[in-house]
Amino acid sequence: MTAVLEIDNVHKWFGSHHVLDGFSLRVGPGEVVGLLGPNGCGKSTVLNIVSKLLSCDDGQVRLMGEPLSELGHRARGIVGVCSQHCALYPDLLPAENLRFFARLYGLSDKEGTQRVAELMRSFELDHFASTRVGQLSGGWKQRLHLAVSLIHRPKLLVLDEPTAAVDLEARMDLWRLIEGLRDSGTTLLLTSHHLVEAQRLCSRVALMRSGKVVAEGSVPELLARVPGQAVAKVQSEDHAALMQRALDLGWTVRQHTGQLRLLLPGDLGLRDIVEALDGTQVSAVSVQAVTLEDAYLELVGDSSLLG
Amino acid sequence: MHTSHLVWVQTLAVAQRLLLEQWRQKRGLIFWAVFPSTMMLLFGLVYAHNDSMRAGLDAAAAGILIGAALFFSCLGGTVAVIAAERERGTLPRLLTTPLHPAAYFLGVVMAQLLLALMQVVMLYSIALLIGVQYHGSLLLGGVVLLLSVFSYVGMGFFLGARFARRSEEVVVALSAIGVPLLVLGGTFFPLEIMPQSMQAVAQINPMLHMNQAFKGVAAYGMGLDELRFELTFLVVFCGLSLALGIQSYRHLLGVDKTK
Repeated sequence: MTAVLEIDNVHKWFGSHHVLDGFSLRVGPGEVVGLLGPNGCGKSTVLNIVSKLLSCDDGQVRLMGEPLSELGHRARGIVGVCSQHCALYPDLLPAENLRFFARLYGLSDKEGTQRVAELMRSFELDHFASTRVGQLSGGWKQRLHLAVSLIHRPKLLVLDEPTAAVDLEARMDLWRLIEGLRDSGTTLLLTSHHLVEAQRLCSRVALMRSGKVVAEGSVPELLARVPGQAVAKVQSEDHAALMQRALDLGWTVRQHTGQLRLLLPGDLGLRDIVEALDGTQVSAVSVQAVTLEDAYLELVGDSSLLG
Repeated sequence: MHTSHLVWVQTLAVAQRLLLEQWRQKRGLIFWAVFPSTMMLLFGLVYAHNDSMRAGLDAAAAGILIGAALFFSCLGGTVAVIAAERERGTLPRLLTTPLHPAAYFLGVVMAQLLLALMQVVMLYSIALLIGVQYHGSLLLGGVVLLLSVFSYVGMGFFLGARFARRSEEVVVALSAIGVPLLVLGGTFFPLEIMPQSMQAVAQINPMLHMNQAFKGVAAYGMGLDELRFELTFLVVFCGLSLALGIQSYRHLLGVDKTK
């Protein structure tokens, strides 16, 4: 089946800074692919290239099987873009914002009216039909922003940290909306700083470092690459003794920003761990199943995304 | 949808959006309607009250329309539109849509033309009430106004794209650049009462030629032959201004794409 998006060995330089260094990625129809990586690793540059805001210096990008460079303005009809900053017109009503963008995409009056009504309803914006966008809360603005990016029924929706600028409640609402889009078969490419968000929303995750993908796969596939099924976060007065004991037990030890993380076989309970570490001056220990956060640390080796 | 039809639809969408925003922004309406109307009333009443100045009433009204009103509305309005797009981050958003660059430019021009037309009707209605008379050809007056509006919008794109980053800067820049230009352009006082050195400097001010062309038609009933120099100057300045505006707009699109 033709991929919605294929990025093959793309390079991008900003002056002497090599931002993308042979970046490759494939997004199939109906997939939700998350791009994760530390600040400055090139995530937004990838999205800007896909959105045709930037061109790549080398490599090939294909949308629906056609080279992006040959699609011209048609590419903008295939891709919908939603960034973390709500770029909307504050003096207009939600439907007026939607209608404005519908006309830019060339929807006929009838088609535009139907689509605006449909999005107003499905994004529950009807409650704020007579409220100017400038008076909406951050979460509702972002909701409208997401609706605007869907006005032309794009084949690929690009979300650049869509929940970065909203509070927890609004984030949960947006997650539900994005899950709804995913379940209805919309193809999504998103970047996020929230590993929990990526774990919840994405069918596949690409981990980036220094302008290239260092690991890629479904969340279970990435979790399987962590040498352990559970992780214990441990605080101790005597790190050296604790590390030695863990190594003697055959556990994998990782240290990030001063915190010790022990990667364990999955059949150990909290009591087993405390007993095994007896005598190493442990003051606190918590255990949980391996998450994308652990896979990220293991495969990217950067802790800047950790909450 | 055919490209030319799409550009037309997009142009209308941009123009309608700008007009709707203008209508909803109360501060903008004050700037657009109350300020020039008050100027017209105040200057008109002063000129009409003094017998020695009464002869200058028609010229003063023409000057206030083309100088004060259209300058702030069309030039200031265009700069403000671009500054606002930048401030709200909507320009990069627009660049991800199939919006044709020409459609955006033409949409702004169309909105400014409509606003200018409404301003002309509004201000000349006030002017006629206080005894101002229009003496010349309506067609020629319309051509002068059209050239002036295009020049202002072109300059607005140039200033907005190159310099205005925030809305507050627009007010400061317009006051700093605009008021001296208005005074030296003979908007408020006739050129003849200025010192010779100021008159010499004023000759290079495009606003002087806009003022003189429109005053020539509206207040003195002059025709094409008598205004040949002013109109030629205006046509050349309008062309330059639009070229500069389009070039600056292209620069703006290139810069904002990467943000």
